[in-house]
Amino acid sequence: MRPTRRRLTRLVMFAILCVVAVIMLFPFVLMILTSLRSRDQYIAGSGFSLASWQNLFVQMPVLAQLWNSTVVTVGGVLLILVVSTTGGYAFAKLGFRGSGLAFVAILSGMMIPIQSIIIPVYVDIARVVHGVNQFPSAIVVYAAIGSPFATYLMTTYYRSIPTELVEASVMDGASYWQIFRKVMLPLSVPAITTVAVLQVIQIWDDLLVGLLFLQTPDVRTITVGLAVLQNGRVVNIPTLMAGSLVSALPAIIVYLIFQRNLIRGLTMGVNK
Amino acid sequence: MTNPAAPLDSPKPLAAVRPRAHQRLSRSRRRAGILFALPVVVLEFLLLAVPLGQAFYYSFTRWDGITSSWVGLGNYQRLFADPNFWRVILNNLILLAAVPLAILIPLLVAYLLNEHVLGWRFFRSVYFLPTAISWVVIGMVAIRVFALEGILNAILAGLGLDVQTDFLSGEYSAMLAVAITFIWSVFGTNTIIFITGMATLDREVYEAARVDGASAFTTFRKITIPMLMRFVQFSFILTLITAFTALFSLIFIMTGGGPGFGSTTLEFYVYQQGFKVGSFGYAAAIGIVLFAVVFTISIAQLRLFRSRLD
Repeated sequence: MRPTRRRLTRLVMFAILCVVAVIMLFPFVLMILTSLRSRDQYIAGSGFSLASWQNLFVQMPVLAQLWNSTVVTVGGVLLILVVSTTGGYAFAKLGFRGSGLAFVAILSGMMIPIQSIIIPVYVDIARVVHGVNQFPSAIVVYAAIGSPFATYLMTTYYRSIPTELVEASVMDGASYWQIFRKVMLPLSVPAITTVAVLQVIQIWDDLLVGLLFLQTPDVRTITVGLAVLQNGRVVNIPTLMAGSLVSALPAIIVYLIFQRNLIRGLTMGVNK
Repeated sequence: MTNPAAPLDSPKPLAAVRPRAHQRLSRSRRRAGILFALPVVVLEFLLLAVPLGQAFYYSFTRWDGITSSWVGLGNYQRLFADPNFWRVILNNLILLAAVPLAILIPLLVAYLLNEHVLGWRFFRSVYFLPTAISWVVIGMVAIRVFALEGILNAILAGLGLDVQTDFLSGEYSAMLAVAITFIWSVFGTNTIIFITGMATLDREVYEAARVDGASAFTTFRKITIPMLMRFVQFSFILTLITAFTALFSLIFIMTGGGPGFGSTTLEFYVYQQGFKVGSFGYAAAIGIVLFAVVFTISIAQLRLFRSRLD
């Protein structure tokens, strides 16, 4: 009696998990199936074709936008990695007068909503450096938004590396720059990967910064391009779904390869 | 990594032997510290601290981006007398009300996953997958669900409820649609947080409870939830801050904040008043209100964490 009952419980659990999986996978299925129909086939509800995929490349400069997304994402992530590894090294292993205060100040940057500062940032960049519609502006803004958390992750990681390692290298005559390059960076590859993966997805998926700082069609990212297409006068749903898939694919690939790093970065906040 | 011969509190051998050399060393070390910290400090100062100060200052002015004139508390007075602002606050409260659901559902599902039924690793990957897609794409799909010719209406019709409404243009249903999509979107993240938490729990406690004849529901309520409080708290703050500061793109795509201000939240109101209406000073004041809300939540959370650690 009891084993049967337990098996039944597990069967019910399995069924629930299956239902949840269907709900979570539903958007992907919807996007794929819809994109494989022409507009008429979509309205009629039958038949399949690649017409919408062809239409997508006519309506939207997909490759150029993918390239633009790549430029700002790679640029933003690289800048974040530079400032968060050097900063983390300084806060965890070197220290200076007021370094504790500086660290807390940078951490509190995590509490500032982007919307609270986006107007002054926009006006400053537009008026002071005339940087609207230029990649470096978006890259710098992304870096400023992403760096507080990245610096926090890197500092926590560097703190777990024994200080003796630094001291021993100093006694061997290594400079602090050499220690950073030859000891700290190689040791922190896992943390660097985690930061990079989190930020790649964050920046690739962003709309607001792209919408404000990369407005003209030639610098538009794929996410912004998609939003513009959605808000256009003629809404072609199958084409939109094809575009959604294209824009989502790079982030999904990164996710599938680096799932573990993503999870680690996410849960690092609790285990502190 | 651990050397049993080394004392736990490592003394500074250099300081003991050659005090002068140590002083010189620590000075060069501090100088290196300043140089290495400089990039991140400068970046955050210029692009977070200064703009926050500007936002605060300009919230007391009438500002069009070029010229500004001091109006004192004028923007804030106008804000609190603005009926649209109160509708916006109500929308934020609707999101706040969605947060418990956005935590409870993942908590239950994580509990099931933790039982390691067939294919649980696969399920875990599938549940986490939406974390990788943008709010823009999520919004695109959500429209197809909630629109007049959408899937929800089809399902309701199938159940005999032929309502045929456009949920995205209803006075309250638009915000509800946004809230439901939000719950869907954060499901994976919260599930992962809880699975990680459950992995740290002691399985023996569960065995003991099972031997004592406790039902699955009782063990969940009496053991899992209390032992997971730290994780629940973390996901609560993360979910709430996501709800208040990360839904801009979703709202932009799904409803554009409408109908009227029916799905405009604080963060969207900043964008709307700033970049659509052009009242930069007024928008700055709304941004400061948003900042105050998020800051209060974060500080309260920090306090809670601290008091638990003591």
